[in-house]
Amino acid sequence: MKNRSTLILGLTASLLASTALADVKVGFIGSLSSDTGLSTLRGAEIAIEELNAAGGMNGEKIVLVSADTGEDVTEGVKAYEYLAETEEVDFIISGSIDDVSLGWLPRMQEFQIPTLDTWTSYIGIIDMVVEDPETMAPYFMNIASDEALATLYINFGADVLKKEMGWDSVVILAEDTAFGEAITGLVTEALGPVAGIETKEVITYDVGTVDFAPLFSKAQASGADFIYQVSSVNSQVISSQYVKLQVPMAMTGVNVSALGLEYWEDTGGAGGGISTLSPVPSVGFELDPESQKFVDTYQAKYTSRPVMPHFNGFNAYWGLKQAMAAAEAAGGFSDAAKWAKEMEKQDITLEKDGKLWLRYAFWGNDEVEEVTGRTYPHNARFDLTAPYEDAQPSMVVIQWKEDGQVGVVYPPEYATTTFEVPSWVKK
Amino acid sequence: MRTLDLRPHHLVLWAAFIALMLLMPLMVGNGTLRTMIFACYLAMFAISWDILSGRTGYLSFGHPFLIGIGAYTTGILTRRYGIPVEASIPIAVLVTMAGGLIILLPALRIKGSYFALVTLAVMELMLQLVPVIRPDLTGGTRGISRLPALTRGAENGYYLAAGLMLAVALFAWLLMRTRLGTALWAIGMNEESVRGSGLSTTRLKSFAFLVSAGIAGLAGAFYAHYLGSITPRSFFDINILFQIIVAVLIGGAGTIIGPIIGAFFMVFLLEWLRPYMPGTERFFVYGSIALVLYMYQPKGIMAIVDTIVSKMKGSRA
Repeated sequence: MKNRSTLILGLTASLLASTALADVKVGFIGSLSSDTGLSTLRGAEIAIEELNAAGGMNGEKIVLVSADTGEDVTEGVKAYEYLAETEEVDFIISGSIDDVSLGWLPRMQEFQIPTLDTWTSYIGIIDMVVEDPETMAPYFMNIASDEALATLYINFGADVLKKEMGWDSVVILAEDTAFGEAITGLVTEALGPVAGIETKEVITYDVGTVDFAPLFSKAQASGADFIYQVSSVNSQVISSQYVKLQVPMAMTGVNVSALGLEYWEDTGGAGGGISTLSPVPSVGFELDPESQKFVDTYQAKYTSRPVMPHFNGFNAYWGLKQAMAAAEAAGGFSDAAKWAKEMEKQDITLEKDGKLWLRYAFWGNDEVEEVTGRTYPHNARFDLTAPYEDAQPSMVVIQWKEDGQVGVVYPPEYATTTFEVPSWVKK
Repeated sequence: MRTLDLRPHHLVLWAAFIALMLLMPLMVGNGTLRTMIFACYLAMFAISWDILSGRTGYLSFGHPFLIGIGAYTTGILTRRYGIPVEASIPIAVLVTMAGGLIILLPALRIKGSYFALVTLAVMELMLQLVPVIRPDLTGGTRGISRLPALTRGAENGYYLAAGLMLAVALFAWLLMRTRLGTALWAIGMNEESVRGSGLSTTRLKSFAFLVSAGIAGLAGAFYAHYLGSITPRSFFDINILFQIIVAVLIGGAGTIIGPIIGAFFMVFLLEWLRPYMPGTERFFVYGSIALVLYMYQPKGIMAIVDTIVSKMKGSRA
């Protein structure tokens, strides 16, 4: 009898102890079957392991639960509700694509759970923070907004495509998605007036397209100097066909598959010559010692794809640490407004060779960015002006070479190689 | 009462069902209530589909088109024109009925798989057109965000969704007990015979279509306000169609309670699997279970329940 009582007491004590340790619950929302979703998840996992090894958050153990969205809008809403109401998480980290984030945002406003988006870059969400700072207070986006990405890309257009290559006109080949629509809009509105490159035609294609030959023919018929592609779904298809068909026009733009190290394998080695805008840090991007340490830990821990975390993996890793530091200062996550105030103060600066290389911080609520002349509350801090002394550039342009090497071609301060057209394209 | 052939046990069963649904918030947590809200909306879509396709046998693959019209109409009216929800939802229902009638009614003259393909084509067409035609109104591929919420919190959302579902189910059940309901059922059995008996099958089908569209528009409009945002992918998508049809087939076509059971079963199955299979593999298990159930009893869970009840009655006798 005495033994049984001791056993029950022991079990109860261990149960209570484990409950006490599992006090901080982090929810991951995103696709568990995409490289981007997995990058955020794994970045968060590594950050949590390190934080727990260092004693957790205010001495409490941090645990992670996942909710898959399958990149579907309604599944995203269900996933957010599951994390909020069933799992009752304290904090949510998201690797969602744009329209999925837009789907669950009303739930975030309702539940007021501190949430960090690491992949979605839609400027419309930052506009919501501007218009409705109270209900959007718990929301943070630690990737430069698409407007900032496009603004710097226009500089690439003016400095490299126009000035160095001498190109005057472009044909846009964009997928029919929210992402495609946004980037196309930003590029067409700014490329002409700022960089002096005329948009000859915008060709929109379905994400299920498997034969791009007619689209490339149409692009050639437009008489433009180069193609600007916007592709986030099955992007390896368009680029490998571009190479295999040896389309006699240069092609640059946004190709999400080219952001991962698997790109070369995914295209069967037919991916050379493709260049793409990429948030920072990208493949081919030189890393500071701290970021390199994160990549080393990542590669020692995970052997399946993505073998190298995408930019949002870095965002998740640093962002989660910042979220926990903010919670420690705010006394937890329960007071979302208080937590948000502390999150706004977070600032991690990473240096390389004595120079500011990467910075994980947020724009002040009333701080106006000089180039665009607007505010970016709760958006990742970025710099649109060389020599990038305040923060890293909002994006870099990377290029895959025909021998499978990849490097940064723009801006010059971060470049590791030079922009060149594929060998089959007449210069 | 006599024409509807209502019996005391019908009233008792309905009262018990309504009481059970209304007492649910006292018995389950908010997480479960959230799942039930989605199940209620799926049940309404399934009932709406069943009124047209389950009864008359005209398989509509374009139902998300009707749901989407309801959702987009209220979304555009409230967000772009500032019309209050009290007015936008009734307008959405009328627009769905009218829009659906203009576009899909001609298809009712086509039979069998051709009808199904035409309706599927209409839905696909909408998926392609919505983002490009007047994106200033539809919001393009990003859709419309920040729709006014009708309720806040799981419990209120549940009462609204469950109340709507019960009203729709009761209405459909009563309708199907009228001569009109019998005639619709007869069309599904043998349309030529119905026409031979002097009834206008075109009018009957139009009526079924209007009722079906009205429910789809109503449910779509409320669903949009529940979600808080709408995108073409979340409404004009073939996955929505699959969920609706699977709910009806698993629950039992040609019944009212069948689509409700099917919707709850499928929505809960997916959510129950989530903690054990957080990734896409739960959809594989979900599909497999649906397939096995359908192979075991093509008439759905309702037929399984009927068989069990009959056996119990037989053993008592």
